[in-house]
Amino acid sequence: MSPNDKKRQADSQIIARWVHEGDRVLDLGCGRGILLEYLQQKKSIYGVGVDIDLGKIISCVKRGVPAYQGDIGAILASFPDDSFDHVILSRTVEHLEDADAILAEGLRVGRHVTVGFVNKGFWINRLNALLHGKRTVNEVYPKPWYESMPSNPFSVAEFEAFCDARKIVIENRVYLSGDWLNECRKLPNLLAGYAIYDLSSID
Amino acid sequence: MNDSEQAPIIPEEGEVGFVEYQDFVSKEPFKFVSGGNLPELTLRYETYGHLNAAKDNAILICHALSGDHHCAGVHGIEERKQGWWNFMVGPGKPIDTTRYFVICSNVLGGCQGSTGPGSINPETGKAYQLDFPKLTVQDMVKAQSLLVDHFGIDRLHAVIGGSMGGMQTVQWAIDFPDRVGRYIALACGARHTAQAIAFNDTGRQAIISDPAWQQGSYDPEHGPDQGLAVARMMAHITYLSDVGMESKFGRKRRNADESKEHFEVEFEVESYLRYQGASFVSRFDANSYLYLTKALDRFDLHGPESLDATLSTVTAPGLVVGFTSDWLYPPQGNREIVESLLRLGKHATYAELAMDFGHDSFLVRAPRLYELIQRFLIR
Repeated sequence: MSPNDKKRQADSQIIARWVHEGDRVLDLGCGRGILLEYLQQKKSIYGVGVDIDLGKIISCVKRGVPAYQGDIGAILASFPDDSFDHVILSRTVEHLEDADAILAEGLRVGRHVTVGFVNKGFWINRLNALLHGKRTVNEVYPKPWYESMPSNPFSVAEFEAFCDARKIVIENRVYLSGDWLNECRKLPNLLAGYAIYDLSSID
Repeated sequence: MNDSEQAPIIPEEGEVGFVEYQDFVSKEPFKFVSGGNLPELTLRYETYGHLNAAKDNAILICHALSGDHHCAGVHGIEERKQGWWNFMVGPGKPIDTTRYFVICSNVLGGCQGSTGPGSINPETGKAYQLDFPKLTVQDMVKAQSLLVDHFGIDRLHAVIGGSMGGMQTVQWAIDFPDRVGRYIALACGARHTAQAIAFNDTGRQAIISDPAWQQGSYDPEHGPDQGLAVARMMAHITYLSDVGMESKFGRKRRNADESKEHFEVEFEVESYLRYQGASFVSRFDANSYLYLTKALDRFDLHGPESLDATLSTVTAPGLVVGFTSDWLYPPQGNREIVESLLRLGKHATYAELAMDFGHDSFLVRAPRLYELIQRFLIR
């Protein structure tokens, strides 16, 4: 596994800690199905991926991961409440047009929602913006703005304020430092390069 | 490079070459869902590749409304046209005949050699015509299962089909969960939309209102050719797309000669459709067309209870593929099958291809479709 892939999959092991044997998992923005394949192998889950891109769906087929090509909002709407143990949005939320509504739907369809994202508040990302006036670029997002998906990045502090406002319960959280490998234990809004949350709604 | 896995496998491709059809005859009475019976039944079929000793490498291909059992290869040197899915079936192709034993049979109710309304009823010595029992997609699938029995195959590696074949494929997964290893349904849906029924009925009315139809009791040599040709012309439009027709024909003129009769063929598209209509008449039976389109209109996986209830028996992993430009069986109809399967916790995948060929997109060679089917069959 290349260092890039390692970084790319940094959240897999953490998410696997929150997933139980045989759980039902819906991965929104599943990409090539690597996380679901990992969870299938580690935890014998029933997993379904959702992605808008046909190439990604073909990769999921290759991995034996069931996948649905289409709109995240539409597929969520087709599921009854609590259909899944976990609804995962790993580096997906920042690309959503209506993140607020999708997260609410995710919490309806899943007992837990897992959210992972690159922390906009990470000091290197701040410096990039401050010194060079540049957007966040790293090994996982190496492409210039004109070749990337539209993205609406946010910080740890912004996300936690959102959870607070929406009365979303943060059951677990892990902050990773700039290498996305080691845990970051202080000043996460400034020092965490990546953040992963296990959320639920108050019921 | 992390995308290397997406490079399609393109092995050396070969052709199945010369093929011959066979007839399977069941002398047992065949009972229809509607309650009707046939004293015996014939299915015409072709096979490609070899059935292995374990008899677990068979793939059943289900054809569409106007298709037949001849899906790959040629029958002889003089035959210009290869089988209807030749690009998909053959050595090194996605449905790889060096790996799989492929079966394709003409559908029950059809007219290419399998028992249908045009067949002779052995009890009366006359063609069934409108005495043929009311036909459903379930009946088609049940008849195919007899052919699969005939080969001693307990479980098919896969069932695959597009359009009406896609509906049969899903029906296989519902009715014979223990006999289907996986299934691929292309350009299909859980039921006809009002628009699809409307088109079918307009086609049926064209046939029925042709005086030569004779309440269905026409002499095969003098059938309702005009009506059938018009039905086919109209249906053919629904298999294409606006964009596809525009790029293929546009306003190209066949005949620039203005001195001709005003309503003779003028535009290229008219010429094309008239040819489609005329050539269809030479190979299709009008009563078969009535029976098959009616079976499609009545196909409804939402009934009698709900889509989820109907699909609840499915166990095999499935792949459903919709096509963006398909306005006969639009993506949404394909999608809802998978949405239901996923609600039920089944292994199901939905993929959607952006192609301009309308409903017939599944009959067009496209690298992405190629790869999807190949990958899904190998898994």
